[in-house]
Amino acid sequence: MRTPETRHSLIVRLKDQRNELAWAEFVCAYEPFLVRLVRRQGTPDRHIPDITQQLLIAIARSVNGWSSDGRDASFRRWLGRVARNVVIKFMTREKKQITGQGGSDFLQLIELTSDDTPDEARSQQYEHELILWAAELVRSEFRDTSWRAFWTTQVEGRAVADVARELGVTSGSIYMSRSRIFARIRAKISEVLDDSEQQS
Amino acid sequence: MSSCDPSLLPLSLEDRLSDAQEEFLTAHLSQCERCQRELEHLAGQPQVWSRVSTALKTACAGSGEAIFTDESHTTEESESAADFAVEFLSPSTDTESIGRLGDIEILEVIGHGGMGIVLKGFQPELKRLVAVKVLAPQLAVSAAARRRFAREAQATAAILHPNVMPILTVHSTGKLPYLVMPYVQCESLQQRIDRTGPLELVDILRIGMQTANGLAAAHAQGLVHRDVKPANILLEIGVERVMLTDFGLARAIDDASITRTGIIAGTPQYMSPEQARGEPVDSRSDLFSLGSVLYTLATGRPPFRAESTYAILRRLTDESPHPLREIAPQYPAWLGVLIHKLLEKQPSDRWTSSTEVAQLLEQCVAHIQQPAVFPLPAACQVAKPKWWRFSAARAGVAVVVALSLAMGMMFLPPLLRKNSRLEPTMATTPAPAPPPSESGGRQPPESPTPPTAPTTEWNHGEESLARLRKDLDSWTRDAQQLWKTPK
Ligand SMILES: [Zn+2]
Repeated sequence: MRTPETRHSLIVRLKDQRNELAWAEFVCAYEPFLVRLVRRQGTPDRHIPDITQQLLIAIARSVNGWSSDGRDASFRRWLGRVARNVVIKFMTREKKQITGQGGSDFLQLIELTSDDTPDEARSQQYEHELILWAAELVRSEFRDTSWRAFWTTQVEGRAVADVARELGVTSGSIYMSRSRIFARIRAKISEVLDDSEQQS
Repeated sequence: MSSCDPSLLPLSLEDRLSDAQEEFLTAHLSQCERCQRELEHLAGQPQVWSRVSTALKTACAGSGEAIFTDESHTTEESESAADFAVEFLSPSTDTESIGRLGDIEILEVIGHGGMGIVLKGFQPELKRLVAVKVLAPQLAVSAAARRRFAREAQATAAILHPNVMPILTVHSTGKLPYLVMPYVQCESLQQRIDRTGPLELVDILRIGMQTANGLAAAHAQGLVHRDVKPANILLEIGVERVMLTDFGLARAIDDASITRTGIIAGTPQYMSPEQARGEPVDSRSDLFSLGSVLYTLATGRPPFRAESTYAILRRLTDESPHPLREIAPQYPAWLGVLIHKLLEKQPSDRWTSSTEVAQLLEQCVAHIQQPAVFPLPAACQVAKPKWWRFSAARAGVAVVVALSLAMGMMFLPPLLRKNSRLEPTMATTPAPAPPPSESGGRQPPESPTPPTAPTTEWNHGEESLARLRKDLDSWTRDAQQLWKTPK
């Protein structure tokens, strides 16, 4: 979601205006995720904004290396991949290296091209982080009862009929709420991760 | 068991069902396993479902994170008043007081809001009761939130108007910024509608008028409220006075926290479409929100509702509100015209200013109290063909025409009814054809339906006929009213 407060300091210049817009939208969607991820990596609070900024800059720099593969939304897919790789590289850094020194060394450490292929375990960890981030966002969008319907039946694996009785709702509304919540989580993730990758 | 309607499933996922569809599908899903499976499948592949569930399960079990369970959500908000007093207030010698804040003896905590905490206090030197609004500690850590809090509060303090809750002082330098306001015994409009349900016509108009007047005072200074909603409109107890509060504050702080976390605090139900899209807003955004408030007062529920905030935002930007008169037929048609024009998606299609809205509402109040003396403002009138307005003496003739029109419609061949709007149909009757629509001005379009009614909804013969009948009924009632007017 865009807001007037959104930081547009990371402007990139691309031949195609639509791609510049896609970049701006990407930053809006991705920054809150980065903030959360950087915090969860154990970065001290005071360094979080700086590290987040560095990661965004690293992604922005890579944007210059982009050329279209002629397929639909290729910029967007490519951006998602670069971001993933930058973040995964960041996650593999030793903790002592991310205490907010920033600067060019840091940038070199995390800067890479879309060709770098991170290992499977790291990719999964990235996906895991994205799921948590999306779920946290989506949780705030829904009423408590709806979320509990989703959580208790889907995550805790309890029987729909039991939960319905407990929450005082029909089982039909549980099916409805939990698929809405799930669809939103999925949509949120695909804002930053290419759909085909997520479902593969 | 009711029969399956697969077309509803994708709509349900996007939270775009109408009330009736939602009710039907909920009941149906309770019994139909096929639709349950189909819906889950539409939401995502089974392996994606299980990946999400697994991730959430491990996150919860592993690090003991409580982010997804209910406890975490409530603890941060309902910070205990005692802790707060110890943290923030200095000790007082007064036994009545729970602590001191500057020159104010704090007597009690009167409320928690999204933005902070509200305290009741007493200023001994000035011998007056005050309400103190303190910015929430978790927001006070953001420099941007503090700056905006101070800026907006100072701007609000400059507005002196009977319909704006005055701000006496602003303290923005301390550990937690706070503002001081007079202590007024009041209930919010939200509390009022929760208590009584939809309001009487005259109350809707009066409250709307005073709110619009308060907004006009702010708009004259270039200040946009940005969070006009029933909870921010206070009704002074014992006096028929409305006071607007929380100018820009709550929303300004929301913006700050959205950027930090991507999470919208509170409900966006009264936002304007431009706010929902995160675009810059001007005073006309407040007019949209005022329209939503008036709609809520008349129907008991906001015009845009859905299960999630995201779906509400989308409805705000994409969908027309349900015609007011279909939910609340007890009100005159012109109330619908007035409110729906506030709810136009395009700011330029709304009424032009809060002053204009206040004046219109004032004229409407005068009209319903003394219809013989004060005519309904022309801009609010449900548009009728020009020949109709020509003279009141023709009203009787017009009633006959209207009735014969209604009869005529019923016998129109279905082909003709299909795609029919009122105007072309009228041309087929012996009644004088309506002249082309009047030029300029803010006249609503020359059609007896609210101007927001989307054309596409007229494409079903039966439905269009039913609406036409309904409109003709109200039209006829208006005409009878006119006819009864003593000279
Ligand atoms: Zn079915």
